[in-house]
Amino acid sequence: MTRFRRCFAACLCLCGVLVAGSRLSAPARADDITERAKKLHFSSIVLDTHDDTTQRFFSKGYDIAKRNPDGHVDIPRMIDGGMNAIFFSIWIDGRIMGPPAVQKALDQIDAVHENVRKNSRDMVLCRTAAEVREAHKQGKIAALIGVEGGHMIGNDIRVLRMFGDLGVRYMTLSHFYNDEWADSSTDKPVHNGLTDFGKDIVREMNRQGIMVDISHVSDKTFYDALEVSKAPLIASHSSCRALCNHVRDMSDDMIKALAAKGGVIQINYERSFIDQAYKDASDKLTGGVVAQFDLFKKECGDDQECFGRKMAEKQKQAMEEGKLPHVSWERIIDHIDHAVKLVGAEHVGLGSDFDGADMPEGMEDCSKLPKITEALMRKGYTDEDIRKILGGNTLRVMEQTEKVSRELQAQ
Amino acid sequence: MVRTLLTAGIVVSAAAFLAATVTADDISARAKKLHFSSIVVDTHDDTTQRFLDGKFDLGPRSATGSIDIPRMKEGGLGAIFFSIWIPSKVTGPEAVNRAMTQIDAVREQVRAHPQDLMLATTAAEVREARKQGKIAALMGVEGGHMINANLGVLRSYAALGVRYMTLTHSGNDEWADSSTDKAVHNGLTDFGKDVVREMNRLGMIVDISHVSDKTFYDVLETSKAPPFASHSSCRAICDAPRNMTDQMMKDLAAKGGVVQINYHVGFLNQEYRGKATPEIAKELGEEVRKHCAGDDEGCQLIEGERITREFVAQGKLPKVEYTAIIEHIEHAVRVAGIDHVGLGSDFDGANMPFGMEDATKLPKITEALLQKGYSEGDVRKILGENTLRVMTEVERVSRELHGGK
Repeated sequence: MTRFRRCFAACLCLCGVLVAGSRLSAPARADDITERAKKLHFSSIVLDTHDDTTQRFFSKGYDIAKRNPDGHVDIPRMIDGGMNAIFFSIWIDGRIMGPPAVQKALDQIDAVHENVRKNSRDMVLCRTAAEVREAHKQGKIAALIGVEGGHMIGNDIRVLRMFGDLGVRYMTLSHFYNDEWADSSTDKPVHNGLTDFGKDIVREMNRQGIMVDISHVSDKTFYDALEVSKAPLIASHSSCRALCNHVRDMSDDMIKALAAKGGVIQINYERSFIDQAYKDASDKLTGGVVAQFDLFKKECGDDQECFGRKMAEKQKQAMEEGKLPHVSWERIIDHIDHAVKLVGAEHVGLGSDFDGADMPEGMEDCSKLPKITEALMRKGYTDEDIRKILGGNTLRVMEQTEKVSRELQAQ
Repeated sequence: MVRTLLTAGIVVSAAAFLAATVTADDISARAKKLHFSSIVVDTHDDTTQRFLDGKFDLGPRSATGSIDIPRMKEGGLGAIFFSIWIPSKVTGPEAVNRAMTQIDAVREQVRAHPQDLMLATTAAEVREARKQGKIAALMGVEGGHMINANLGVLRSYAALGVRYMTLTHSGNDEWADSSTDKAVHNGLTDFGKDVVREMNRLGMIVDISHVSDKTFYDVLETSKAPPFASHSSCRAICDAPRNMTDQMMKDLAAKGGVVQINYHVGFLNQEYRGKATPEIAKELGEEVRKHCAGDDEGCQLIEGERITREFVAQGKLPKVEYTAIIEHIEHAVRVAGIDHVGLGSDFDGANMPFGMEDATKLPKITEALLQKGYSEGDVRKILGENTLRVMTEVERVSRELHGGK
């Protein structure tokens, strides 16, 4: 009851603020909730499970230590936004396979290591939940690593183990394309989910304490992984299909099944994953996320900077021409709230896709993250639940994954 | 790793000969006590190749090869550098991928035998393993071609526990000349010097076995930490380009380094080198290929050793005794000093002399050195303390350069 009333009041209040903000560009009134939210946010472990900032390490103009005029993540903005734990994504095009894929993935893992080392006053590489908590205690940003796509292990379970030993703490089983042993949600199924070898990969990930990430995979791959894995899974960056019918998002049934096994859906902020109208318009305009990717790939090759620039230009133009609708950051809150209502606050987290996706208005970069805490508070979420969503749930999955790993290695 | 087919090694044939060699019973109580209370470090073992068939296990005593846990224990081998090796001709991402799978294979063996083995990356960890009654397992990458001219890959290897890298194998790589290839870089290229500096920063020992003399001198000039030769012997006794001249050993010693004596007969014995003609090598190669697939290095190593011993029995190759190892140690000690000599057997990668068939024979080295009048302290240095000193020094330099971890 309390929750309902608070939510009612909060929603009214928030609308007022937004309207005022857009008209007068006046800052939000620092009322009680704003202050409380700030306090809560900046004392919490805010863990984002998916950031493509790694790609930026390879461009000359970028320095994570400095405030950059573009992109979504750097240390000053992480500090502004209270984002104190981050999974740097290791990603290459899903069509690169075999040894070249392994080599490129290694380059990126090294780039994360090197960036952390060069900024060791602010960041520390973490492999376990305990290390993330320790980093937080020391006032440092916890840097973690996730491999976004099973194609990067070169179809070789030994390479998977080496990635684990190099600090990789999750692997997304596929990216946009099927790999040798798992079907992707954005490709034509050829494996009927996970192959037998794919199941071995999941078991080995359990043994090594690497979280199994089911973002990007086909629904059948998801259910196969759920059945095989002895540890809870995460969707490192996926939102809710019930609100935006995109294959990259999860159906309510999937979210329930994930939660029943202790897992967490980490809400992705990408506009076309959170807003149906945007997705529909975007599909019409470019033929969907993969086609769009291919279009820019042709123009830019492997130059990720070019990629981001071209994409942004095209979208800006489309918006100005009215071909793409505006999307508010509040859709993120809608997705969080939907998932929480469906499975409870224990199974929802944050997987922004910063530096790898198009952010909604109001969530232009990681400095805006405190808005999520405030919005959830205004909806009547308890402090405890908000902390779970901000990072506690992910830490719980990490701890369980570590426990399963210890048990399997002791066998 | 010595490619048997190229250099052809030695040894004997069989039980009849073996009976004539010193057995464990001939080791004096004093030598035994000294040997088994020392940390015996071997800086080069190619046993990793045997892991790759997916069946070989270090746990049980193996009827072939030189290394397994029971025989390491019996021979008092306290720390072993497992070599990561692929042929020089394999380059690019393929080389990286294969090196990674070998690093994994070593780590899997360690994971499979937690009671007996402990992965070590520092001198302190080697000593800790000894304290816990375990064998310290370390890793060295044998050939700079495996980093694909990429410092990031080098750093990844370091992060995975690799503690030395031999700058080349038998062929030149992109940035360093090998002693057994035609010089094209005049030693180390500028990038090669960057590799050495990065190794210093990471706390990886720069290994100058296999490299050309010019590469060696470029390393000496560039490296801030003492290098070592993980498996090379003395050219003054056996004139192989893989061995070190007296001057090189002196210069290595002046930088605090260590020459780790290689037991390969083709590097120990001049007569053997003379008789191991290209024709013999070819014949040996053909015999080996009858028994092993072209890419099964583990099989080739074991069969090469067996067939070489047959050749010795047939008189095609001379018989070399393990005492040749002692001659090389003594020579190196005279030239470079007692602080600059160690053991780099090349077990499971070369042809062992008679009497040094496997790790169980190692106490004979201690016995022989005591008989030659070496002090117990000096013997300990050769057995492992010199190597541990180099490791400690390399770690110190790394810390100074704001290295690694």
